[in-house]
Amino acid sequence: MRLSCQQEDLHRGLSAVSRAIPARTTLPITQHVLVEAADGQITLSATDAETIAITYTIQADVEESGSITMPSRLLADFVATLPRLPISMTLAERSRQVSLACARNTASIGGMDPDDFPPIPTVQGNTPISIEATRLRQGINQTHFAAATDDSRPVLTGVHFAFKDKQLRLAAADGFRLSVHTMDIESDVDRTAIVPARALGELGRLLQEVAGGDVEITFNQTGTQVQFDVGHARLIANLIQGTFPNYDQLIPATSGTRTEVNVSDFMRETRIASIFARDGSGIVRVVAVPGEGNDPGRLLITARAEEVGDNEGILDAVIEGQESKIAFNGRYLTDVLNVIDTDRVAIETTSPSSPGVLRPVGDDRFIHVVMPMFVQW
Amino acid sequence: MSAHTPREPSHLRSALQPREPRRPRRIAHFDLDSFFVAVERALDPSLIGKPVLVGHAGARGVVASASYEARKFGCHSAQPMAQALRLCPQAVVVMSGHDVYGKYSRQFHDILNQTSPVVESVGVDEAYVDLTGTGPEVGGAYAAAQDVRRRVREELGLVVSACIAGSRTVAKVGSDRAKPDGLLEVPVGQDAAFLAPLPIRDLPLVGPRLGEALQAVGVRTIGDAADLDARWLAAQFGKAGEALAQHARGIDHTPVRAGGREHRQISRENTFGQDVTEVEELRRVLQQHADRVGGDLRRQGRRARTVSIKVRWSDFTTLSRSRTLDRPVQATAAIVETARDLLDEVVRTEGLRPVRLLGVAVSNLVEDQVQLSLDDLGSGVAGATAADGSARPRVLRDEELDRAIDGLRARFGDRSVTRGL
Repeated sequence: MRLSCQQEDLHRGLSAVSRAIPARTTLPITQHVLVEAADGQITLSATDAETIAITYTIQADVEESGSITMPSRLLADFVATLPRLPISMTLAERSRQVSLACARNTASIGGMDPDDFPPIPTVQGNTPISIEATRLRQGINQTHFAAATDDSRPVLTGVHFAFKDKQLRLAAADGFRLSVHTMDIESDVDRTAIVPARALGELGRLLQEVAGGDVEITFNQTGTQVQFDVGHARLIANLIQGTFPNYDQLIPATSGTRTEVNVSDFMRETRIASIFARDGSGIVRVVAVPGEGNDPGRLLITARAEEVGDNEGILDAVIEGQESKIAFNGRYLTDVLNVIDTDRVAIETTSPSSPGVLRPVGDDRFIHVVMPMFVQW
Repeated sequence: MSAHTPREPSHLRSALQPREPRRPRRIAHFDLDSFFVAVERALDPSLIGKPVLVGHAGARGVVASASYEARKFGCHSAQPMAQALRLCPQAVVVMSGHDVYGKYSRQFHDILNQTSPVVESVGVDEAYVDLTGTGPEVGGAYAAAQDVRRRVREELGLVVSACIAGSRTVAKVGSDRAKPDGLLEVPVGQDAAFLAPLPIRDLPLVGPRLGEALQAVGVRTIGDAADLDARWLAAQFGKAGEALAQHARGIDHTPVRAGGREHRQISRENTFGQDVTEVEELRRVLQQHADRVGGDLRRQGRRARTVSIKVRWSDFTTLSRSRTLDRPVQATAAIVETARDLLDEVVRTEGLRPVRLLGVAVSNLVEDQVQLSLDDLGSGVAGATAADGSARPRVLRDEELDRAIDGLRARFGDRSVTRGL
């Protein structure tokens, strides 16, 4: 193998694939990145050999094709620090030593046999489903944060994909909150799958690079794997097996109070309240007081730090229905406000112990349900 | 060159300014005189003057409290009831129940709380009150304490003794000296002199073992201990020695903490009149205990993360099992569920033997707040939906039922409502 490529291309590729590498592993080769050079391209691959694999292709001048694995961390850190100049790479086949040179810096890195690298599957079989990358990215953004991070119920660590009637519905829930995003798609495929949230987090980052392009989603025949192909990069994930809870029944059909406020103001007041709520399980109290006559309605966001102090923020709000009091974990509020990209949000509440619902005003693709904290008022 | 006058930096200057003078600490310890007996006598004046034993009369009952008349015969608390009755067969045995004692205890604490904002409860019948700075317009600390004693007598029909001193330790020792029915004030600065002539065992810190060790080196009075070198005491008796050197000199800076110590655990247990071998009976008793424990949690506005049970076989081997839950509980139903699981676990792993004692406890107490879960809506959405369209989480429905039952019991007595299995 003998080639040269641009530092920034290699850097971008290595940082993309190295996210698949597990923090801890019993299989040392998964700490490596597979480098395959042929036909004017380098394909970089990494996997945790369990749930996720990422491949990334960059342009290169390949004088002699070949492949090798190299320790990912060492290679990525090294390349990241080099100047933005061409890098040359030469593999001594017998010793598996790779010589790298950039400007007046040279390095030699010991590799391992590429045949020992876990195979990166190419998922094929079903017709690929094509979705606009920015659209999918927003859907992932608005759902994957709500997935569970502990493994006690494996299906909840994933995002539920439901394709039906030319729509894709994404849903995630961790037991305390539920995020649902619905998008229109061209394909009229009818299927469901649970994709690990971690894989989607990485996919979200890959999609940032694909402005205006499409992503092709392919499921394998047996329904165990999915591949997201954005052209220069592919992400393959093992699907989570099991039945996702029927979440439609968790979305309240009616509400007693609907409060409309500015998203960034609500975010700011929630953040301030959260500072005061640090000691008390992060409890942020939200009280909606409807307006009277010419007075506008008000949303009060308060928090108390036991024996230290308290805080109250007031926002003008458009309120329909009766006065409402409810308490939330402040982090659950900031998490959802963070992914709402409209100017205004509607908060629907019914009682201090019924779920609260947040909807971006003027965008019915997204809905978020969050369970309150039961507190003494 | 002109003479340079050195000036303190501004932050030092303000630190050197004389501040508001601090008043000497005035700590009062209030202790109800033979509380359980006194409550029984307040309820039934015919008991006044008679030897009274508070406790269950059954074969395995234990004396919770004995009146002075009964103590003359050698009866004392923690004694088996049968033995106490052999010593004093004419004694009247009474036991009104925890809810009655709890009611009196709460009223006692209410009076204290109206006297000072800094009240630390250290039991059903005693509390420390910080009276520092109680102004002359109300007659100072002494008058404030007399007022408490008057109100407790008039409003509850109970007698409370008290001592006011410069620290908790001295106040505690003094309230014992003030009994029966007395109030003592140790003048400011006289704490060490007050303690000096008293027997060393009067210091709350000195238990039987430390007491014996001190006797062995010739320490009879608290003053004897105060004369010893503090470093020697620390070397001999470790931490206890360090504290002893301070306390014996009347020095104890421990503050009175408003609200009192956190209850670390709440428990109920009972010794059966006859050993029990039926699982169903044990499950029923667990429910009763869990109900009481849950009631206490709800009254105190707390939740518990840990539920445990205690089982004593007829051969006195005792085992306990506990479980820490993801979500703190308060509802009787939730405590019962875990307690029964734990009992099943004991039976599964140890087999079932005749049970002498069974108890339920909760610990790891936290504030009364809980993150509700989407799972709480499970049956709520499908089943019981309230008129307003809102689903009531199951955990809260259980707790609402509990509150209703607690309310009825508070009005009509403990036995007015019982739970089915």
